[in-house]
Parts: sequence; structure tokens; C-alpha cells
Amino acid sequence: MYVSYRWLSRHVDLTGIAPEQLAEDLTLSTAEVEGLEPFAAHLSDVTVGLVTERKQHEGADKLSVCTVDVGAGEPLQIVCGAPNVDSGQKVAVATVGTVLPGDFKIKKSKIRGVESRGMICSVRELDLGDEHDGIWVLPEGCEVGSPVREALGLDDWVIEIDNKSLTHRPDLWGHRGLAGEIAAIYERELKPFDCSLPNVGGGTSYPLRVDSPDCPRYIGLTIEGAQPLASPDWLRFLLLAVGQRPIDQLVDVSNFVMLDLGQPNHTFDLERLSPEGITVRNARAGEKMTTLDGGEHELIPADLLICSADEPVALAGVMGGEGSKVAEGTQSLLLEVANFAPAVVRRTAMRLGLRTDASARFEKSLDPNLAMSAAGHFARTLVGLQPDVRFPAPPSDVGDWHDPAHTITLSCDRVRSVLGTDLADGEIAKILTRLRFDVEGEGGALRVGIPAARATKDIGIEQDLIEEVGRIHRYANLPERLLRADVKPPPHVPRRVIVRKIQDRLAGAARFHEVLSYSFVDDELLAKVGQAEAPHVQLVNPVIESQSRIRRDVLPSLLARLENNRRHREDVRLFEIGKGYRPENGNERGEPDQVHSLALAWAAPRPGKKARFDENAFSRLYGVVDDLFGYLGVARPCWGADLDAPAWAHPARRLGAFWGTDEAPGAVLAELEPGLARALGLEGELASDVAVCEISIDRLLALEPRGSGYVPIPRYPGVKVDVALLVGADAQAAQLVDAIEKAGKGAVSGVELFDLYRGENLGAGKKSLAYHVLLQSPNKTLSDKDVAKFLGRLERAVTDLGGELRKG
Amino acid sequence: MQDDYQKTLEEAQTKIGACADATGLKAIEREYTGKDGVVQALLASIPSLPPEERRGVGQGANQLKQAVLEALAGRESELAQVSLAAERKGEGYDPTLPPAAVQRGSLHPVTMVMREVEDLFQSMGYSVLDGPEVELDYYNFEALNFPPDHPAREEYDTFWCDREGKLLLRTHTSPVQIRTLERLKPPIRAIVPGRVFRHEELDASHEHTFHQVEGLVVDEGVTVGHLTGTLKSFLRELFQRDLDVRLRPGYFPFVEPGFEFDIRCPFCEDGCRVCSKTTWVEFCGCGMVHPNVLRAGDVDPEKYTGFAFGFGLDRLVMLRYGIDDIRHFMGGDLRFLEQF
Ligand SMILES: [Zn+2]
Repeated sequence: MYVSYRWLSRHVDLTGIAPEQLAEDLTLSTAEVEGLEPFAAHLSDVTVGLVTERKQHEGADKLSVCTVDVGAGEPLQIVCGAPNVDSGQKVAVATVGTVLPGDFKIKKSKIRGVESRGMICSVRELDLGDEHDGIWVLPEGCEVGSPVREALGLDDWVIEIDNKSLTHRPDLWGHRGLAGEIAAIYERELKPFDCSLPNVGGGTSYPLRVDSPDCPRYIGLTIEGAQPLASPDWLRFLLLAVGQRPIDQLVDVSNFVMLDLGQPNHTFDLERLSPEGITVRNARAGEKMTTLDGGEHELIPADLLICSADEPVALAGVMGGEGSKVAEGTQSLLLEVANFAPAVVRRTAMRLGLRTDASARFEKSLDPNLAMSAAGHFARTLVGLQPDVRFPAPPSDVGDWHDPAHTITLSCDRVRSVLGTDLADGEIAKILTRLRFDVEGEGGALRVGIPAARATKDIGIEQDLIEEVGRIHRYANLPERLLRADVKPPPHVPRRVIVRKIQDRLAGAARFHEVLSYSFVDDELLAKVGQAEAPHVQLVNPVIESQSRIRRDVLPSLLARLENNRRHREDVRLFEIGKGYRPENGNERGEPDQVHSLALAWAAPRPGKKARFDENAFSRLYGVVDDLFGYLGVARPCWGADLDAPAWAHPARRLGAFWGTDEAPGAVLAELEPGLARALGLEGELASDVAVCEISIDRLLALEPRGSGYVPIPRYPGVKVDVALLVGADAQAAQLVDAIEKAGKGAVSGVELFDLYRGENLGAGKKSLAYHVLLQSPNKTLSDKDVAKFLGRLERAVTDLGGELRKG
Repeated sequence: MQDDYQKTLEEAQTKIGACADATGLKAIEREYTGKDGVVQALLASIPSLPPEERRGVGQGANQLKQAVLEALAGRESELAQVSLAAERKGEGYDPTLPPAAVQRGSLHPVTMVMREVEDLFQSMGYSVLDGPEVELDYYNFEALNFPPDHPAREEYDTFWCDREGKLLLRTHTSPVQIRTLERLKPPIRAIVPGRVFRHEELDASHEHTFHQVEGLVVDEGVTVGHLTGTLKSFLRELFQRDLDVRLRPGYFPFVEPGFEFDIRCPFCEDGCRVCSKTTWVEFCGCGMVHPNVLRAGDVDPEKYTGFAFGFGLDRLVMLRYGIDDIRHFMGGDLRFLEQF
């Protein structure tokens, strides 16, 4: 909201308070000042000139050649196209070099062969209004040669206040209210302000009826003989300072009253209203109306209407209807000043996307008393401009409103204990009095009368008054303290601990990079990963239409990152820890089930022909995950290929990690489904070997921690035996390791696969797996005989599996 | 005979002197003192000699052997000195070559600063709590003293998850205040770091997905002074210096009184881009917990008071690392991530 320094000074003496100081003090005590600019700074560069001579341009009918005295130096010859320019006028002159609004720089020029050294400006060229049918003729008294801004006394400042910090202060949406704050801050008096109605006639008031609980108060005042004349400069410049274009006196006074008191108001053309009067009622379902801006709206019963008889003429508190425009030459007007239910105005304005100055004020809960003050202010201001205006009848004033003023008992001890200060009772009372609360009582309990303007929403409880005391006393004056408490170790949060361990392990030797992705997933990606049909929490108002769904799992987000990163890097290792949401498992309160998971993806160029058996993304990622489980100290899972794998998993190259009697895997590790890899753009130059894994952190947290993992250093030397097992191509390595361990009868302390070979010389459908086996006994040095027994048992076991043992 | 020995020895010494490596010396050693070597041949000839010569030949062979071994040892030590000297010269070595790279992964910069914040508050006795990102309107607004149709709701450009207005993406970490009060009894000291959402258009300084840290303290006798003191000591640790701060009125329905907490711009003395030329940077919104919020968490506002604060983490991360575009955070580009 824009506020004018000069406007404020109509209500409170600002002598000795520089605009910068005022801005800072408002920020520290009341509301955030976001900006401070001199008003119409460009008028400092525009000079008052006197047209000493006007001649017809010889080459053009509509042009005049003027001689203009601008004080210093020679008079200037200026060519002017305005019909109203004449000698003897004081005018606004932009001399050569001046830059006007719109970055328009005045240059010396020749117009139809006549030299012109400057420009005589219109109001519009100076950004001071829309009139452009002639130049701006300045008052007689302006001193020739002085800057226009000075000559007109326009040394005003525009203060911009953050609307957000006024959300709870309906009283500050006008200059009078803000002046009250300033009076309290600087301990000055508010100037007297007469808002009473001027004399009104004894005629019949225009009939009004309220048929809705959403309109607590509705006042109508008939006005006769008002003319839509241009407003005087004092009014124009105040409005311009706060960003309001002057239109004519009727519109300008309406805006002036709203910006002065914070009370919106509206003038209807009484000649266009039904003699039956105005009815305020809720809309009927499906009822339609067109607003002043030309918008057509379908209404619902929650909308409140102002109707002429039964015909809607305005959306209450939001905008007038198209039919409510004041016709030219009309003699009678009806001024509406009302109070509407804030929630109703807010809902209608939001639903229809019609946020107006009026709706912004009504939705903050205006004081219903203010309506009558605004009617008086309007009438007095208008009469001040047009003394012939008449008010033939007393205002109609209907609605079931009550005065919100109330009283709060404030304990001074509570003020001190919340603010942490030793302010005396008297000081507290004094601050509240400065803010124009009625303070009574002694002995630490104050009876504080809350005036209606502060009582609608803002001040309801003791704490609200504590804020009043604190902000005027200034928060900076409150002593700082540190909390005291018993010294205890910080609480253990297992989820934080495991997340950190995961991050550290992966970002360390495993060389993974941590990624954060949006919670939204793209529909196209979901279709690619086969989750298009899965239930998702879905946004009503997404930023991008195709990204309305909240992810169920984290992995798809990572998959979307692979292609771009592979373009720039050979080896791409990413992980993300995040949350997914599953609406189908929601609780009775409507909260979806939340899953916390870790996703990993490793993409690298495809391994060459000579690559070792474990030189591929799947094996490597398997190793990373296995190491991670070890580091986390959780029980090692049982990895199995028998699972309902997600669609992103390669149908054959995948494993699930099962703990205990789990039916669903707590982690799924897989090569990326090859069709999906292509769909993700990982083809051609970017063709990649991709392994992915999603691990449930919730599952890891529910696991019993594993023991310390320490094994004593063996006392007896072990024996290394290399064995090669020739088996069918379908045989699974897990079975072979199992056989080796069984054959060792507890003496196998290490099995390491070091070669996997498939060659023609082995015979079709065969492969050979070569292992280093470490045999070790805690009780003795193993003999050749022990080794031979082991090999004998292993040979039988391998033969049973249809294979053959070849000693290395 | 003596002359023959002398001649053999000189021959051996010449060879040893000319030899420049350990393998060569080994070969010479074998040639003279090995199984089929010169010395052995002399000794082997002894039985066939007349008895009076045998002793002399035996002695001569042993002396020869000793002398050859001595010469070998001498040469070996000479060669060792030479190679040590050569190594010390360090020829052909350029210490200014680039270091061998240590390959590693990276933590997200948001994670790193988040950890710092968590650790600082933990060291001051705060629990680190968590809450859902898909949240009920009740926790995000209603229980925080934003009744339906409260105009302040509008400041929180909300992503809605249903048309009834019951479910949303949390717009701040504050809902965890209520969840915490429901679960724990005072005294409470907790922070809640987490992801929050606002319906905003993306640009270099605006994200619709960002991170906040909520703080909540509820106990007997907690005052505004404690809030200022706590935030100031936190900032002093975070920036490792004293920063000028100011508390001014700010409106948030769930605190009363409510404040904006500004810090003096860490980058300038008389205004810069970061502080929009004001020399102040908004650090967080905060205030004394509203009695209605305490009541919603079943805490007696007559007995307890508390303070709450909530600050954005992303901007701190940007300040810390000089990052100029917030969109990098969620962009998942290794060229960005690798730098941390
Ligand atoms: Zn700065």
C-alpha cells in the first residue's frame, strides 16, 4: 500500500520528522516499510515558464510558435501543438536535455522548419493524469524559472508499506489510521477531524433492505446536483502520490475517502436504480452478473449481491456491476457505505479472481462504525468542492450490527513476564494511552478499553495488548537472555542418525552424489516407469499441468536425471533420500501413508567384451548396497530373485532384499529395464549400463541392530585353496557358495570369486567359477588331510549339483 | 703359486670394479665362490696334490675367497651410495605436476548447511524432529490459528491436494509445532528442518520447493528476550562473528506478539543487491507462541509460554557458497553437485 507523507501530515504534525526517519520508525514499531521515494521527482527537472508570445506556425495550421520565458538566460522558442496554449500562461517546460517519464529525452529539434528548444507539457506527458487535449496551465502564482515540483509545493514522499504486515490491522488501510500510529510513536496529537454528516434535508430516504446475515450494516445517502468536474490540484496530487489516477470529483472523492479512512464506498446513479430501493441478498445458484470490468460471472449462494429491487447491481464489497455506472448528466446519486462479512467478500473475490482495493479492506474486518464516518467524510469533502451539492434526505442506515468495542483486563506482571522486561505499571499504562486505548485501574491489573477500530479482529486477548506495549516500547529495548535448563545429552533421533550415515557412506568411497528432486513427478515419466495407473496424491493447482502428482517413490526422480548427466559425465552415480506418499494406505484423518526411502542410480558406459564378471553397474551397485548395510550395522538381508519387482526393474537381472519373514522386499536392486533405459534417452551415444536400487529407510529403522561385528584375529594360520567349479550356465553362484561353506563344516572363513569363464572349450551350456577359499580353524593348524577332506566333500556336493570340481 | 692367486684376485677385483649392478655382482660372486667357482675348483684339486702343497693351496684358496668377498662387499656399498645419491638428485621429477585426483562423491549443499544448523541446535539441547510434507489443513493452518477464510492464508500460496481444502503440501514447517505439542509435554526445545512448498513461479531467487528450519521452545518463564538471545547466539556460531540484528513487528497468526528478525547484511556496509540496498536482510519470522496454538496442543497457556521461529535454509546456503541461482538446488546437475 502506498502512503503519502503530505497526506499523513493532514492528520498529524510531522514537523521535524524526516521521511527516512518516519519510514524506519514505522518499520520498527508498526509495519514494514518496503520503499520510500520522492513523489514526482521528475517534476524537479521541469521548469515553470511564462508564454510571452504566441504566433501561428507558418507551415502548419495546428502548430503555434511560442516564446517562453524560463527565468534564466534567453527566452526559448518552442513549437507547441496544443490548442489551448496562449500568451500570458504559466506552463510546465521541459527544456533540452530533460528526461520525461517513459525515458523520453527532450532534444533540440526543427518542426516544419522552425527551431524548437524544449516542450510545453501536458498533464499526461508528466504522468500526472490522463488529460491530453491540451497543455497543463499552471496557477498564476507560480514563480517563473523555478522547478514545477517546488512551485506547486509537491515535495511529497511516497511510502510503500508491505500489505502482509497489515493483514491484522484493518485500521491501517487508510491515512488517518496510520497517522494515529505515528501520533503514538512520537507522542504527538492527532489533528481534529470532523466526519459528521453535514446538513441534510428532511425528505424521504431511499429505501434499503438487508436480507442476508452477511451484511451487518448498509448506509445509503442520496446526493443531488453533483457534477463530474476535474478535481483541484491538492486532491489530484494526493491521489497521484499513492498511485491513484484522478478521474473526476465523484470518483476522486470516493477514492480519497477510502484511502483516508480505509472504508470503501460506492456511488450509484440513482436515476438508474429502482424506486423500490436496494436489497442486499445472497445470490441464487446459477445467477449471472457482469461486473464493471466487463467480466461475466456465474454466482453461487455464498456470494452477496447489492440489488436494485431484485436486479444485481454490484457484487458486495468486490466490484460494481456494469449497470451501476453513473450516466453523464445525471442529477442524483446514491452513496453506498457498508460493512460486509469479511469471509464472504474474501471467498467471492478469490473465487472470481477479482481482488480489488475494496475487497482487500473488507476482508480484514472493518469496524461497522466507520461506515457512518466515511459517509460524513464523503459528504463534507464533496460539499467542500461543490458547495451547491445537496443531501435531500437523512441517510438510510440498516443492518443488524453491534459495536465491537470491548474491554480486556491486562495483568502488568504478564506483560513483564512475556516481554522479559521490568517496565513499570505506569509505563505500560502510558504506552497504551498513547495508542488511544482507555486505560483504567491500578495495582498491576489494568482495565483496557479497546476502541472499535482496533476491536474487530486485531485486539482480542491479553497477548495482543502485550504486543502493543512491546512494539511501542521497541523490541530492541528488551534485554536479551539465554535459556537455562538441566544439562542433558541431546535426544537420540535414530532416523537422523541413519540418514547421515547413509549420506556419508555413499558420498565417500562409493562416490555417489546426493541429489534433491521435486516431490512432483511428471505424468510422462510415470507412464514410462509403469506407474501411470498407481494411486497418487494429486495437486489441484500444479505449477505445470503434467506435474500434478506427488511421488510414491524416490527412484523415478533419479531416473529423470540420468540422461542429462550422462551427456556431461561418463560415470553418473546419484542418490536421493526423500519421502513418497501413498493415498491408498491413508488413515482415517485423510493423511496418506508416508514412506521414507533411499534411491540409488548408477549409469556408466556399457562394459566391454573383456570386462571382468563384476565390472558392470549391477555388480558394483550390489557391492555398494552390501557395504552400506554392513556400515549401518543392520542385519544382512536374504537376497532373492523371487519377488514382484517394479516395472523399472530388468525382468531377469534383479534382486530383492528380505529380512526375517518379510513378504515384500525392503530393498529392490536391479539393472534398469532395457526398454525404459531407451525411453529415458539412454541410447545411441548415451547407451548405458544402469543399475538402480530403492531401499526403505523405514524398514532399516525397524531392524534389530546387528552385533559389534568383531571377530578375534585367528591364532592358527589358515590355508588358501583355489577351486574351480564347472557348472551349467544356469547354476546360481549363491548355490555354489552355499556348497563351499557346507563342505568346509565351519572352517570356511572366506570365499572370493576371482574368475568367471564361459568358453567354447568348456562345452556348450557350461561355465566355470573360480574361487579363493580360505580355510581356518580356531583350534589348530589345518593339515593337508583336512584340506583333502574339504575337497572331497565339495566334489560330492558339486557333482550333486550336476557340476564338476577342478582343483586350482 | 702365490703369483697365480694374486693374478686371479686382481682379475676378480677388476671385474668387480667394472660391475655396476647387483645382478652382476651376484654373478661374480658365483663365479669365484659358488659351487662350480674358482675357489671351489682350487679346493677340489687339493686331494690330488702332494701333501706338502695341500696346506698352502688350502690357505691360498680361502684367502682368495675372503678377498673376493671383501671386494664384492666394498663394491656393493659403493653402488648403494651411488644409487642413493642418484635418487637424491631426483632427476626427471616435476613436483608441479597436478596432484593425483581422489575420487569422491558429494553431499548436497543444503544437506551440509542443514547439518550445521542441526548440530548447533542439538548442542543447545534441542531435539531434531520431523513431520510430513503432505499435510492436513488442520495442522498447516487451522490449529495454527488461521481459521478458514483468514486473510493471512493467502500469503502462503498453497498447493492443494484436494478440492475440499483438507489436504495440502505444507507451506511451512510450523505444522510440526502442533504435532510436537500433541506428542511431547513441556519443557520442549525442538527444531524441525524440512522441505516446504509455495505455489510460485520459478526464477533465480524463487523456488516452489525449498527448505525451512522451525524452532519451538515451550517452558515456564520463556520471554521475548530468550528468543532474541537464542537466535543471536545461533547466528554468531553460524557466521562465526557477531551480527547486528533487529526485531520488529511482523504478523503471523500463530504467534503473539509476532516479529520479523533481521540481520545486518553480511555483505556490505551501505547497501548492496543482497539486502536490496537496505543493509538489512530478513532472516526469519518468529514470535511468542499464540495461546490458541498452545491450547490446540493441550498445553496450558496460563502456565507456559514459548517462542517459535522459522527461517529459510536455501538462502543461507546461497549466502554461504555464493550461489546465484536457487534453481540449481533441485536441478540434479552433476556439474553443480560435484562442487561440494
Ligand atoms: Zn548488503
